Amino acid sequence: MRSSAGGISAALIAMFLGLLAVTQVRAQEVYSRSLELETPSSLTTLIANLAERNSALREEIFDLRLRTESAREEVASGKGSLTEAQRQLTQLEVFAARTAVRGPGISVRVEGPFDDRALSDLVNELRNAGAEAVAVNTVRVGPRSWFGAAADRALAVDGVAVRGPWVVTAVGSPEVMYVAMTRTGGIIGQFELIYRDTRFSVARETALSLPSLANPPRG
Amino acid sequence: MATLTERRTGRLPAPLVLMLPALLFGLLVTLQWRTQQDRSELTVRYNAPLLDAASSLQKEQNALKAQLADLRAQLDQIQRGAASQTSTSRELQARIEELSAAAGLTARTGDGVTVILDDARTTSPAQAGNVEKSICHSTDLTDIINTAWRGGAQAIAVNEQRIVGSSSVYCVGSTIMVNGTLMSPPFEVKIIGPQNELLAAYDDPNELRDIKQRRDVYGLGFRVSRTAGLKVPSYDGALNVRYATPQ
Repeated sequence: MRSSAGGISAALIAMFLGLLAVTQVRAQEVYSRSLELETPSSLTTLIANLAERNSALREEIFDLRLRTESAREEVASGKGSLTEAQRQLTQLEVFAARTAVRGPGISVRVEGPFDDRALSDLVNELRNAGAEAVAVNTVRVGPRSWFGAAADRALAVDGVAVRGPWVVTAVGSPEVMYVAMTRTGGIIGQFELIYRDTRFSVARETALSLPSLANPPRG
Repeated sequence: MATLTERRTGRLPAPLVLMLPALLFGLLVTLQWRTQQDRSELTVRYNAPLLDAASSLQKEQNALKAQLADLRAQLDQIQRGAASQTSTSRELQARIEELSAAAGLTARTGDGVTVILDDARTTSPAQAGNVEKSICHSTDLTDIINTAWRGGAQAIAVNEQRIVGSSSVYCVGSTIMVNGTLMSPPFEVKIIGPQNELLAAYDDPNELRDIKQRRDVYGLGFRVSRTAGLKVPSYDGALNVRYATPQ
């Protein structure tokens, strides 16, 4: 009887140790959220992304310096800064989706079952690839737009039902966006595996035309 | 005879019972050691310079964003000064200010809700083998942001990065970038807007089903609370309007 009890307690201790080991491994994975633990390939992707953002910032700083200078000169010569104000307004109207826009870009056609979260992810991916304006069919996506489900398998953009097949258009660099969408392991590749009955096609576009935001939010 | 059987049954199972956890333990230790080794071969050689490059680029980005903010403020001042000159420029200036606010280029203060999203910090049995479900992903953030806009949010920031029309949540490995800025959990999402509508949107059982289920089963950190006097910073990134022209 004594040895049996001893055996059981030894087994219990061993099991406890095993359990500790498991939780230890898991705990490390859960906490492994620092750059140090990223693989070289992830780090390289992160670095490319950072470098791209920084060069966009540098370009905008360069541009803004010139504009500040010319605005100063305009004001000094008594003409006011109408040119600069007009320019800023134009830029903001595009950025806030308050004007219809045209330009090159890509279109993503989705034919078959699809859902609002995937649409939201697709728009997020397009923005990450530098999309300057996005529309779903004829509905422009704004800075505060949200996606939802609608009746009869339609999707909703800001509460407005949009029926499939959906064509998501984005104005921006056609090359950068096309590659971002279609690369191996990219979002379209993932969609094709998840939505097996849906057809996805991505195309570069030379002249897209997107409407302005239908109901800009107030406040 | 009776004692002998008793002894036998008493003694034999003990080593047998021990064998399994011991094996498991050994296996886990090896597994752990091996993954660390796999990682280290490439990691040791390349990670130090890559880490240096990443952190210096992030530092550079912060400095560039500060420069950009400074230039925007300068230009703003020049224009405000000039705006009083004619009624046309006054109108233009008013429109610029309205659109700047709508686009997220001005800081905002107001009441709203705060959402905290975090990796599970305690390990529960349900987590074993389900690490993916107990940590937060970029899609969780996009879902939380989508629900906020749906609930009538007026301004949102994730860890002090303002969400604007060009914002994206990007994930590489286990690192998340918002507006191109590196960040890691916990995520604090500050949302200015109508509190009751926002809380109702987050309480809606049809919203964020996946996140709520992972909170309940895998200990994912997800908390929504009513907050007064929130401060949401202005967007400090590039506007990047290069391809789109007004029609």
